[in-house]
Formats: sequence, structure tokens, C-alpha cells
Amino acid sequence: MTTSVKWQETDDIIRLSGIIKRFGGAQALSDASLAVRRGTVHGLVGQNGAGKSTLIKLLAGLHEADEGAIEIDGVAYAGLSPQQVGHLGIHFIHQDRLLVPTFTVGEALFLGREPRIAGTPFLDRKLMRQKSAEILDRYFGLRLPNSALIGELTAAEKQIVQITRALLDNPKVLVFDEPTAALVRREAELLFALIRRLRDEGITILYISHYLSEIVDLCDTVTVLRNGRDVATLAVGETSVREIGALMVNRDIAELYPKPKVAHGSPFLELQGLGLANRYADVSLTLHRGEVLGLTGLVGSGAKELLRTLFGLETATSGAVVIEGDTVFSASPAAATAKRLALVPEDRRRDGVALDLSVTENTTLASLDRFSRAGLLDKGAEKRKASELIERLQIKTDSADALVRTLSGGNQQKVAIAKWLSRQSEIYLLDEPSVGVDIAAKVEIYTLIGELAERGAGIIVLSSDIDELLGITDRVLVFFRGRITREFISAETSPGQVLAELTGANETLRHVG
Amino acid sequence: MSVDAAYLSPSLPASAGKDTDVTSVPARALGRKLAVFALRQGSLAVFIGVLVYFSIAAPFFFTVGNIGNVLGQSAIAGVLAIGLTIVIIAGGSNVVTGGIDLSLAANMGLSAAVYASLVQAGQGDAVAIIGALGTGLLIGAVNAAAITLAGIVPLLATLAVMNVVAGLELVLTQNTVVPASTEFLSTLSASGPFGIPVLAYLLLVFTALVAAVVQYTPVGLRLYAVGEFPEAARAAGLRVKLFVSGAFLASGLCGGLSGILSVSYLSGSTTGAGDMLLPVVVTALLGTVFSRRLVPTIGGTLLATLFVSFLINGFQLLNISSTLVSGVQGLLILLVVSATTLLKRKGNQ
Repeated sequence: MTTSVKWQETDDIIRLSGIIKRFGGAQALSDASLAVRRGTVHGLVGQNGAGKSTLIKLLAGLHEADEGAIEIDGVAYAGLSPQQVGHLGIHFIHQDRLLVPTFTVGEALFLGREPRIAGTPFLDRKLMRQKSAEILDRYFGLRLPNSALIGELTAAEKQIVQITRALLDNPKVLVFDEPTAALVRREAELLFALIRRLRDEGITILYISHYLSEIVDLCDTVTVLRNGRDVATLAVGETSVREIGALMVNRDIAELYPKPKVAHGSPFLELQGLGLANRYADVSLTLHRGEVLGLTGLVGSGAKELLRTLFGLETATSGAVVIEGDTVFSASPAAATAKRLALVPEDRRRDGVALDLSVTENTTLASLDRFSRAGLLDKGAEKRKASELIERLQIKTDSADALVRTLSGGNQQKVAIAKWLSRQSEIYLLDEPSVGVDIAAKVEIYTLIGELAERGAGIIVLSSDIDELLGITDRVLVFFRGRITREFISAETSPGQVLAELTGANETLRHVG
Repeated sequence: MSVDAAYLSPSLPASAGKDTDVTSVPARALGRKLAVFALRQGSLAVFIGVLVYFSIAAPFFFTVGNIGNVLGQSAIAGVLAIGLTIVIIAGGSNVVTGGIDLSLAANMGLSAAVYASLVQAGQGDAVAIIGALGTGLLIGAVNAAAITLAGIVPLLATLAVMNVVAGLELVLTQNTVVPASTEFLSTLSASGPFGIPVLAYLLLVFTALVAAVVQYTPVGLRLYAVGEFPEAARAAGLRVKLFVSGAFLASGLCGGLSGILSVSYLSGSTTGAGDMLLPVVVTALLGTVFSRRLVPTIGGTLLATLFVSFLINGFQLLNISSTLVSGVQGLLILLVVSATTLLKRKGNQ
């Protein structure tokens, strides 16, 4: 993209420009540039496949660029080796904490540069112990027993040990690769505070994350990668999550949540005072054909349990479920499936798809009776159905026989949905349908939900992503402590309103919908 | 010392971290710690219990003569088990995908055969020693190449090498006993100070030397890192394949050394070296229960070697059929491997 003119030469500690990198026929990076200013927190974002990890591996000396210039601290390098990168003061905090679980904290900190007892070849364990206790306490306020092993620490503590390992080398640049993936919110906030402190100490931070809100909170500057090139470098103060998100996908934000106008048909599914002891009570709602209904609630609010009940995984203790006028009683998933209900569970890798079966086998798994003749599978019919669904859902796979394990998260999710399409289910219960997939795949999943509605299906989406929920549903029901406390018309509601209801901040304004 | 982080300048706002209240070791680790403690202390208690029982049941058991003999008899298996321990440390303790050297017993057999054959051919002890150690080293090198260059899992690579080596031994000896007796061999098999066999002293000195390197030097620490978590070792700038190769070379050398010891102990090379495999594997795996972290250690392996030897010795003194011994060994493997596997799984959750 835009090149050297724009950059202040002396201020940049890292400058990669015009980088091209091919793997076989695939072009991972095509003219990508990245300039990181000294003493700043620089965000790097992009979808899966945008070239983030290739660029970082290049910087780490693990890949070699086919073309382009690398300049670190004002010195140009033709290529980098991992050792060289270390000597230049660039250190990487990896996503999976690379610490040996059976080591003590001291051993893990000093692995590879162990202190020896003077004049002997032996490890100075005492010094390792003292030094590590001192560093962790003084710098992080972290006190651990001397005998504590890495395997006994929490994810956050391990991360601190990992950061300390890097700090021992007196680094100039720290590269964080998805550091919050395994952290809970509070731990992540401590990490952010720490990163700001490191920046104030003069260390330059390169921060890679999927979470745009983190980028906006933490970074000074952000570079957006798309299709192997940098499409923009923005000052965070002058941009927004929406703008960054739109740059990542190159879509207008309206296209992010495609929602066809569908006229609602007759009432399809009705819940009358449904309850499950100690989980939720008195849930009444009506889902029409062609309608997308959103559910949301905190963990334990009862929303997830409601979906499980509808699919026969739990048995309601009061109330009734009515489908097109017939009172039904789904005591098992088999019974629910027979009533045309379909559940796409949150943990798709565990519950949604069979990872080690092929795409074809997965798509027909829920409806094998439709592809069987006299107890034998009709492989031809299976294949035809699978190719039709692969085509229709644009599932990206090498072949219909590829194992589902080899697909990306978004495509696995499409397979999980395809499974029910081949059965011609009509009431879809989608539990966090877009969690863990990249933005492009999200949009495809949303499009698919819209198509299902257009064909007259009824859809219930449970999601904790309020933007998404308001973008793709007609109505949103909020669960709070086991009851539906509020109903919103999606098109007329702001995320803040839902959030307030969700967390109980509005309890006094209760208005049961 | 280069680690003396200049980074920790006093200007740092040390208090800023105080509010982190990142509490120490979580409670769930406590249960595991107790279980590890129980396993470790339990194993020691069983060890001591067995010794006490044998001492009472067979009065000859607890005499300097008998203990010295057991130590001497343990030397061959002990050296092999130490070799295997090094490989398990560097390859990881996963029994299927981790480090294992099944060729060790066959290695000992071939090295012994080489030694005895060289002596038979009129060569001196020096040449025979070089021949035996060289044979062991070569076998280790083949293992190392198969594993690090060809990328075969150690279990399969060393299984294949074991068969090749056992075959070579048959070719060399025509499946017969090759007697060998030299002054050097007689010195090794004789009694040393306090009437304790020289082999016993050798075992203790060898263990101390290897333990010093493995447990107390940076090389040893790195060996553990390579085996437990190769990615972490790589991230720390260590050359993983180099360490793994080195471990197999070391274990090959142990095979050669134990070959020399066995020639001296048996006054020649005999057939049936392969029978040593099971006891050696038992010993190396058993050794992990004597470590706080449930990892293989050289000291733990020595304790396990002695435990297994005393068990066999006690059985003999009590006239219990020796056929029971391999049953007991199999049982021990099952117990130890399931206990450590369960505990490790718990620890990783």
C-alpha cells in the first residue's frame, strides 16, 4: 500500500515494507507493510488467513520473505534468524504458554540461560529460586511457594512467568500473540495494565488479537491486514471497532448483518408457561414461521437450559410445548428430531460434528434413514445430497470426502447446520452459532439463517454477542435469573438497552414480555 | 551473570502490581499434591516393608554379603535402566509416543558378544572395551538417526533396531556361549573393600556421575525441557533433535558398558540377553514414583533397580518360584503406569 513517504524514519523500531511471501502457489503476503513506532502499543488485526501469522513468523525469523525490506532499529536486514531476532531485542509471548509443566518457576524462567555455581558446571538452584521470587514479587506482586510447579499455576500466572522470561532479556520489543485467549476478563485487564506499564517503561509492544474491543482499549495504533496486504494503519483515537471490523472484511457494516425482510407466517412453536425446576420458570413465547427469535442471558440465566429442554436434553417440569397446534412432549433428542427440531450446539467440535468423519458422512448423519434402502446406505444418494449442500452453503472443503477436522471453524459450523438441512428440519435452535469463526464465515452463517427464515423455518438464536443478536433477529428476549424479563424489537433497540437488561441493571423497570 | 536483569531498575512502580491479588497455587493442586505425596511415600513404605519382611523371613537377607551381592547383580540392569531413564527424560514419559529404547537389552547382548569374540580372537582388553563401547555407541547412533532424521517414533524405531541387533548377535556367536576370561574381567567380578563386589561399587559410582550431570547441570535441566515440552525448549533456543540424539547415544553407550559388565559377571557372552528388557523397562518406569514431580530421575531409577533386585533375591531366598517374578514385574508396570498416568491427567486439567 502506501509506502515509506508517510513514515517518520527515525521513530520506527520495526519497518517491514513491501513484503511478499508465497507458499507453493498460495500467496500469503502480497505487498504487506508494517511500521511500528518506538514506545507505542501497536495492534495488528486481520481475519484468519489475512496473513497475520505469516507476517509475525517472518519477523520472528521463522519464515523468509520472497521480496521486501526488513528494517529493525534503522538497520536493514536481508533475512533474519530466530537467534538474531532475539539479539535484536524482539521477544515473542506465544499464545500457548511455552513453559514446561514439571519445572519450578525458577527453572522455567532460566531455562536456556541457567546460572551456574561459580567455578563449577552445576546449576545454581538457590540463585534461580531467589531471583525468580524477587522478580515476580517486586514487579508483579506475585508470590508463589518455592516449590510451585508451572503445571500448578493458573493461566494468568503462567503468562506472567512467560512475560518475565522475556523481560530477563531486556527486550526492546515484545510481541503478544492472542495473549488473552485463555484468560478470564479480570486477568485480561491485569494484563492490559501490565502492557501499558511496559510501554511507559519504553518497551514497544506489538499486539495481535481477534478481539477488536481489546485493540481499541489498549493500542495507540492499529494496522489492519486483509488478503495479505495492509489495508490501513489508523490511530486508535480516530477510529472505532466498527470501522476496523469493516476494513477487515471490506464490507459495509450493513452487510455484516444481512437480514432479509421476511413476512411472518402462522404461529409455529408455542411455549406455554414452560418451567424447569431451579433453572427457569413460566416461559411463554410464540415463534412464527419465517421468524428469527433471539435469546440472551448471562450464564445460569436459564436461556441455554431452555434450548436444551426444547431439544429433549432436559425434561420440563411444568407447562407445555405446542407445535402447530399439537401439544408435544419431547423427552429425548430423537423425539425432538422427529418433530422437525434441530439443535446446533455451542461446542461444535464436541457436540455438533463428528470431526473424524467426512463432510458427506456428517451432512447425512442425522438422517441416515432417508439415505438407506433395506438397511443399507445408498452411497450415491448420500453423495448427491452432500454435494448439493456443499454448493448451497458454500462449504469450503477440498472434497466431499475430506474429514471435517480439516475444515476451518466457520465451515465446520456450516456442516453442523447442513446436517439438519438434509433432514428437512424446520425449527432451528442455534446456540452461539458464530462463536470462534472469522468475520467472513460469520456473515455466511448469518446469510444462511436468513435463507432458512425465507423458506418458512422458525429459528431461535441464543447468543451473547448483542450486536449480532440485534443484527440478525426480529425480536430479542432477555433472560434474567430464570425468567424472560424483557422483549425487544431488534430493529428499534440499541445494544446498551439489552446489556442493561441482561445484567439486571434495569431490574426496577421490569416489564415482562 | 548475564541474567542479572538490568530491567529491574528501582524506578519501577513496584506497588502497581500489588493490587493484582493473583493468589498462589490453586486449591485443586492440593489434592494432586497429596496424591503424589501418598504415591511417593507409599512406594518408599512398600520398599522398606518388603526389605523388613524379607529380613525377618530369611535371616540371611539382611547381611552385608547378601546386600553386596544384590548390588553387584543389579549393576548390569542398573546401568541399562539408567540409559533408558536418560532416553525417557529426553523423549518424554509418554509410554507410546515418548522416549523409549527397546534395543537396550539386545545392545548389551551384542556388545558382550563383541567383547568376548575379540578376547577369543586374541585381542587385549583395551581393544575389547573399545569394541564393546563402540558397538553400543553405533547402535545408539542408528536409533538416533531413525528417530531424529527419519522421524520414526522411538517405540517402533528401537523395536526394529532391537531385532536387527539380536540377529547380529546370533550371527556373531552362532547362538552359543563365548567364554572370555582376562585379568581385567576377573578384577571386575571380584570382591572389593568390605567383601562387596567391585560391580556394586561401579554401579554406585556410575549412578553418581550420571546423576550429577542429569540432575545438577544445565544440560540435565534442558534434557527435561526437551522431553516434557519440546516447543518450550525450542522457544528457549534449545536444539531439540540434538538433545534427543545425544540421549540415544548415551543410552547406546550404557548398553555397551553393561555388555562389558555382563561379560565379566558371566565370564563370557551368553544368549538370552533379550530377557533383560522387561526388568529394565519396569525399573525405569518404577523410578518415577520416587520423584516429587513424578518424572524419571537417575536416583529414582537406582532405588527402583535395587527394589526389583531385592524382590528377586528375596523370592530366591524364600524358595518362591522364580516364574512368579515376571508376573510381579508385569503387575508393577501396570500399577505404576496407571498411577502416574492418572495423576498426570489430573494435573493437566
